[in-house]
Amino acid sequence: MDMDMDMDMDTKKKCTRFFINDNMDVLIEILKRLDEKSIGVAACVCRLWCALTRNDALWEHLCFRQLSPPREGVRTVVAALGGYRRLYTLCVKPVLTRLGKRKDMWTTHEVDLSLSLFCVDYYERLFLAGAATPPSSLIFLCKAG
Amino acid sequence: MKRDRDRGKAAAAAASGKPNMWPEPQPDAGMDELFAVLGYKVKSSDMADVAEKLEQLEMAMGTTADDGVSVLADDTVHYNPSDLSGWVDNMLTELTGESSTPNFAGEDDLRAIAGGAIFDTTESDNGCKRMKAAEADVRSEFGENSSAVQQPRAVVVDSQETGVRLVHTLMACAEAVQQENMKLADALVKHVGLLAVSQIGAMRKVATYFAEALARRIYKIYPEEPLDSSLSDILQMHFYETGPYLKFAHFTANQAILEAFAGANRVHVIDFSLRQGMQWPALMQALALRPGGPPAFRLTGIGPPQPDNSDALQQVGWKLAQLAETIGVEFEFRGFVTNSLADLDAEMLEIRAGDEEETVAVNSVFELHQLLARPGAVEKVLDSIKAMRPKIVTVVEQEANHNGGAFLDRFNESLHYYSTMFDSLESDGGGGQDLMMTEVYLGRQICNVVACDGAERVERHETLEQWRARMGSAGFDPVQLGSNAFKQASMLLALFSSGEGYMVEERDGCLMLGWHTRPLIATSAWRIAAAEG
Repeated sequence: MDMDMDMDMDTKKKCTRFFINDNMDVLIEILKRLDEKSIGVAACVCRLWCALTRNDALWEHLCFRQLSPPREGVRTVVAALGGYRRLYTLCVKPVLTRLGKRKDMWTTHEVDLSLSLFCVDYYERLFLAGAATPPSSLIFLCKAG
Repeated sequence: MKRDRDRGKAAAAAASGKPNMWPEPQPDAGMDELFAVLGYKVKSSDMADVAEKLEQLEMAMGTTADDGVSVLADDTVHYNPSDLSGWVDNMLTELTGESSTPNFAGEDDLRAIAGGAIFDTTESDNGCKRMKAAEADVRSEFGENSSAVQQPRAVVVDSQETGVRLVHTLMACAEAVQQENMKLADALVKHVGLLAVSQIGAMRKVATYFAEALARRIYKIYPEEPLDSSLSDILQMHFYETGPYLKFAHFTANQAILEAFAGANRVHVIDFSLRQGMQWPALMQALALRPGGPPAFRLTGIGPPQPDNSDALQQVGWKLAQLAETIGVEFEFRGFVTNSLADLDAEMLEIRAGDEEETVAVNSVFELHQLLARPGAVEKVLDSIKAMRPKIVTVVEQEANHNGGAFLDRFNESLHYYSTMFDSLESDGGGGQDLMMTEVYLGRQICNVVACDGAERVERHETLEQWRARMGSAGFDPVQLGSNAFKQASMLLALFSSGEGYMVEERDGCLMLGWHTRPLIATSAWRIAAAEG
């Protein structure tokens, strides 16, 4: 994944007519293919890249890229519940890590489970809004395995 | 070297009489060290001698009990465990020696400790040999010196042994209570308290709760009014956060409901125990994302009256309504406040038919068993469920028989059940406050099972088989929980840090969640029997 960025740098040096930041759609397509860690690194490159990495479309791709086509309505629901970036960080990543799966082995079952847990989390935040202790029903996902 | 080490292992294993998890053998730096690590001091020169004596001891143990249960093999008494050689000598002398019963000044009652309780059999006759072994048991605890036996050694030091002793003392106490021998029970329950202190973790907590419950029963200090329902909800909320039990219950029930709702445009869920409504967000989300769009979702929540007359049900309904609006599901809520499910009937719920015909699901998580406290209540409720014409009824219950006629049976069953449960929660790594509140939640159940009776004893758990029979005779047919539910449940469990300990089992279409080999809760689904008109 780092190779993509190296190549961009090289391209920039070699060919001054092409500047990746001028071609955001290409940039986004590239960033879409990164894994989470690389996205984190990319976010440190410059303000534009940082802003782009916060784009939920990127994270949607990260969550569900192996499952095509994305189910109708998922985007609306996920957006309403907090967005794909939050879904990934809170549910998808721990679920995948804990289940020891690579993303290309993901099935609808993992998707369903992640979405359910995500919704429970949202409800808890809604329910316990203002309470002293933060919702903890997903804490089990954060504990070291 | 190796031969001696093996023998050492075998000797040590024979000493405590049960397979144990030994620590990794230390590097061979001398004969003593292996035993020293385990807490025993044995001279290298004595090893062969000790091993031989242990073999003799084992034979002697085998002939002591005449009912096929080699009692001491499970319940050895260490008079001074660190001096292994001396200990073996003492045991041999005692077992192969005299038959006169020692003199207990003022402790006569203790001789009446029924063998049955300690040795985990159902026989209650006090055979002479068993009594002797029981006395040996007790003697070590109370440090009595008797003329017949010559070891005035110190009391048990090994905490593993104390653990075994703790369980046996608890069971002996329960048996004493069953036999209304309160003086003995009193002595024993105090002793449990002492023993419990030497334990750590789950064992200590379970023992403490059971001892307290026994004490309440003995002294007839029943808990005051049942816990405030809002506090009880909070406790259950903490239980939801720790361990997978409630999540498993909700997810499996939801899956069955989701499948039953396939193709329906208007659906109605009747929840017998709304509490905080934690089960429904996941179902609503699944309905929102189902192919073809969500149905109109109506929820009827049932709950107990609040002490301050606040409308807790409405608050929950409002939160769920907010969620529904967020995810785009048409939502309607109604709450019913009642002290008992038996006071409800189907007409009150106003199930809709005709143009607005709705597909109904009835959901009960840990509620039905409470009805068994009043005769006729559960039958009435099952009848009113039938009157609701549900497409599916989901039932989640504890998988245990804590409703047996005899107190001792209930006690032993619940001791095993809650020990397993506490063990599983312990392994998840303390969630701090959550774990503590969960323990209080379970502790209240323990207290109810052990200390209460009659209409007050509401924790009348029964096994899946018992519920199956009851549902069958009430006119319900089982609905198989499909493989989707199983997969989801398995995945859910795998997410918990000690995923190896939890297990999902499918039994005749029902799903059970357990810890190691012991199932702890069971989800089942039902529909009205086809034969009925």
